Amino acid sequence: MADQLSTTVHGEAQHPPQRDLYLPRRADILEIVEETPQERLLRLKMADGVPLGHKPGQFVQVCCFGIGEAPISMASAADASGTFDLCVRRVGNVTGALHKTVVGDTVGIRGPYGNGFPLETLADRDLLIIGGGIGLVPLRGLIQAILAQRELYRKVTILYGFKRPEEMLFRDELAAWGAREDVDLRLTIDRAHPDWSGHVGVITTLFPDLALDAAMTKAIVVGPPIMYQFVITECRLKGIADENILLSLERHMKCGVGKCGHCQINGKYCCLDGPVFSFSELKYLWEAI
Amino acid sequence: MTLQVISVAEIRGLLAQLMEQGRVVAPHKRPGDRQWAFEDLTDPADAVLQYTTTIIPAKKYAFPPKETLLRYELGQAPSVTAVVDSEPLVLFGVHTCDLYGLTALDTAFADHFADANYLEKRAKMRIIGIECVPDEWCFCASMGTATIDSGYELFLTPLPDEEHYIVEVGSDAGDEMLKGIASREATAGEVSYLKTHLNRKITQERHLDSDYTALPLLFTGFAESPVWEKWAEKCYGCGTCNLTCPTCFCWDVLDEMGLALTTGERRREWDGCMLEGFARVATGENFRENRTERLRHRFFRKYAYLFTRYGKPYCCGCGRCVRQCLVKIDPVGVINELIAAHGKGGALIG
Ligand SMILES: Cc1cc2nc3c(=O)[nH]c(=O)nc-3n(C[C@H](O)[C@H](O)[C@H](O)COP(=O)(O)OP(=O)(O)OC[C@H]3O[C@@H](n4cnc5c(N)ncnc54)[C@H](O)[C@@H]3O)c2cc1C
Ligand code: SF4
Ligand code: SF4
Ligand code: SF4
Ligand code: FES
Repeated sequence: MADQLSTTVHGEAQHPPQRDLYLPRRADILEIVEETPQERLLRLKMADGVPLGHKPGQFVQVCCFGIGEAPISMASAADASGTFDLCVRRVGNVTGALHKTVVGDTVGIRGPYGNGFPLETLADRDLLIIGGGIGLVPLRGLIQAILAQRELYRKVTILYGFKRPEEMLFRDELAAWGAREDVDLRLTIDRAHPDWSGHVGVITTLFPDLALDAAMTKAIVVGPPIMYQFVITECRLKGIADENILLSLERHMKCGVGKCGHCQINGKYCCLDGPVFSFSELKYLWEAI
Repeated sequence: MTLQVISVAEIRGLLAQLMEQGRVVAPHKRPGDRQWAFEDLTDPADAVLQYTTTIIPAKKYAFPPKETLLRYELGQAPSVTAVVDSEPLVLFGVHTCDLYGLTALDTAFADHFADANYLEKRAKMRIIGIECVPDEWCFCASMGTATIDSGYELFLTPLPDEEHYIVEVGSDAGDEMLKGIASREATAGEVSYLKTHLNRKITQERHLDSDYTALPLLFTGFAESPVWEKWAEKCYGCGTCNLTCPTCFCWDVLDEMGLALTTGERRREWDGCMLEGFARVATGENFRENRTERLRHRFFRKYAYLFTRYGKPYCCGCGRCVRQCLVKIDPVGVINELIAAHGKGGALIG
C-alpha cells in the first residue's frame, strides 16, 4: 500500500503526510485595542519567535483550547517585528472567547492559509480598494503592504463604508491614510447620523464621483456577501474587466487545508483556491456571489 | 504470478493465521434482512464471504466516525500534542467498489496538505478483496469499478461450487500472506470462468445512460435543472447518504474538555453536506439554504467538482446512499432523469 500512496495526482508529486497538520502553534497576546464595541484588535507574536511569514489576504485558524477554532484574516502586513494583528468581531463561541482574553494570554495559531492578494499583479496599476464593514480587516494588511512600497503602485483609492459612526475601524490609521497626498480615501455611512458630517449612502453611492482609468485599474473588494453584487456591477459599469476585479470570500471553514469540505464554492475550495478570487473565476459559479 | 485456487477452509485458515499476527476485520452478518457490517473478527468462521454491501463502508478504519486530532492540557504552561493513531490492520472481504472508494479517499487526503491521521492508518492496512453478490441498487459497472487491478494484497473470486476461490495476488504482502496456505494453480477452465463471471458483473442491469467519464461535462448542463427540486422535495436532509458513502469525507471539529476543565481534546467527526447547517456562517448566511441546493451540491461534488479536481469520480457505484435512504433518492435515477431532460451535450456544447 505504501507505494500506492506515493502515486501522483495530476502528475504532481504527492506531499509527505504532515503529523502536525492540525497542531496549532502558540502565540502570545502582546496588545489589545478595543476598536469598536464589537471588534477588538489583538497584536500577537509567535511564542517560538518564528514569524508566520504571511501575505495580506491570507488567514489563520485561531484557537482557544476547549472552545474551538475560527478562521481569521491577517489584519497586518508582515514586518520585521514578527508581530501580527488580528481583528475579531464577537459573534459566537471562539470569537467570544477571544474577546475575553487579556494581554499575556496565549492562543493557538495554524497557518497562514489561503492564497492572499496577488500583490505582484497590482504593481504599476491604479488600485481601487473597496471595503465594507469588517471587510476592511484583510484590506488593512494589503494597504499597509502597499504603502510600505508606495512607489510600486500608481493611484491608490480607498473606499470604506460602514453602518454607523461607532462601527468605524482603525480610526487613527484611516486618518493617517486620509492625510496622505498619495492616497485618495473616501468614507461613507449607510444612513445619516448626528455624529457624522461626511458622505452618507451605501458604498456604491461613492462611485459616480470616481474618475478612473478602467484599463489600468485593479479593484479589490472585501465586504459582506450582499455588497458584492452591487459593487461588481458598479465596477463593470466603470469599465473594469472581470479579471481585474478581485474579491475575498468568506465561508464556513473547519480545516483550512482543503479536507473538511465546508468551504466549498462549487468546485473551488475557499481555503485553498481562495479566499481571494478574481470575478472572472467566479462569474460562472452560482454559489459564489 | 499465475492464478491460484484455495478452498473456503483454507481461507478461514488464512484468517486464523492473520488473527494471530494482529487485528483483522471482516464483514459480519447483522440482524435483519441483507444487513452486514465490518467488525473485528474473533472467530474465522464469522467472516461472511458472500454479501452485497456493508451498511458503513471500510473507510471507517482509515477515517473513523470520531477521531482525536489533539490533546491539550491547560494551566500555567499549557501543552498541546498532535494525536496520530494508527495500527496494523487486515481488512478482509472488501468489494471492488469499496476498494475504489478507498483509493478515492487516498487521493483527497494526500493532496496538497497531506493528512497523516488518514494516511498513516491507510499505510498500515492490508486488504483482502472479495467478489460480491450484486443487488438491485449496485451500479459499479457504470462507474468503472466492477473490476479493479490494484489496491489489494489478495483478491478472491468464488468458483461455481462456492467451496473454492480463485486468488489474485496484488502485492508482495499478498504473496507473503499465502505462504503456508495450501493452494493449487487455477485450471484453464477456472481462468475462463473468472472472465465470464466478470463480464456478467459488468453487464449489470442498473446503469447510467452515459459513460461515467462524460459526467463532469454533462453536469455543466444540469445546474439549473428542475430535476433537482423534484427529487429534493422528498429528501429529509438527514445526511444518511453522506455517512454511508465510501467516497464522502467531510468533517466537523469539536473540542471536548475533561470535567476538571484542565485537559481536553479536539476531535473530528463525520459531517454531511446534506445537513442544513453545513455551509452556514456565524453571521447567519447559509450558502446552501434549501434541500435542492444541498442535493445538487452532493451530486456535483461527486460527479463533477472532485472528478475535475482529482481526475476521478467520487462515487464508486456501491448504491449505499439509496439503499439506506428512506425515500430512495437514487443516483442512477437522478442522473438518468437529468440526461433525459437535458441531453448529453452539457452546457458548453448543447
Ligand atoms: C477566510 C476568513 C476570514 C475571516 N476573517 C475574519 C476576521 O478577520 N475577523 C472576524 O471577526 N471574523 C473573520 N471571519 C469570520 C469568522 O471566522 C467567524 O465569525 C467565526 O468563525 C465565528 O466563530 P465562532 O466560534 O465565534 O462563532 P459560533 O457562532 O460559535 O460558531 C458558528 C459556527 O460556524 C463556524 N464557522 C466556521 N467558519 C465560519 C465562518 N467563516 N464564519 C462564520 N462561522 C464559521 C464556527 O466554527 C462554528 O461552528 C473570517 C472568516 C473566513 C472564512
Ligand atoms: S437523500 Fe435520502 S439519505 Fe440523503 S439526506 Fe435526503 S433523505 Fe437522507
Ligand atoms: S454516492 Fe451512493 S453509490 Fe456513489 S459511492 Fe456514495 S453511497 Fe455509493
Ligand atoms: S457495487 Fe459492484 S462491486 Fe460493489 S457490491 Fe455492488 S456489484 Fe459488488
Ligand atoms: S476549510 Fe476545510 S476544505 Fe476549506
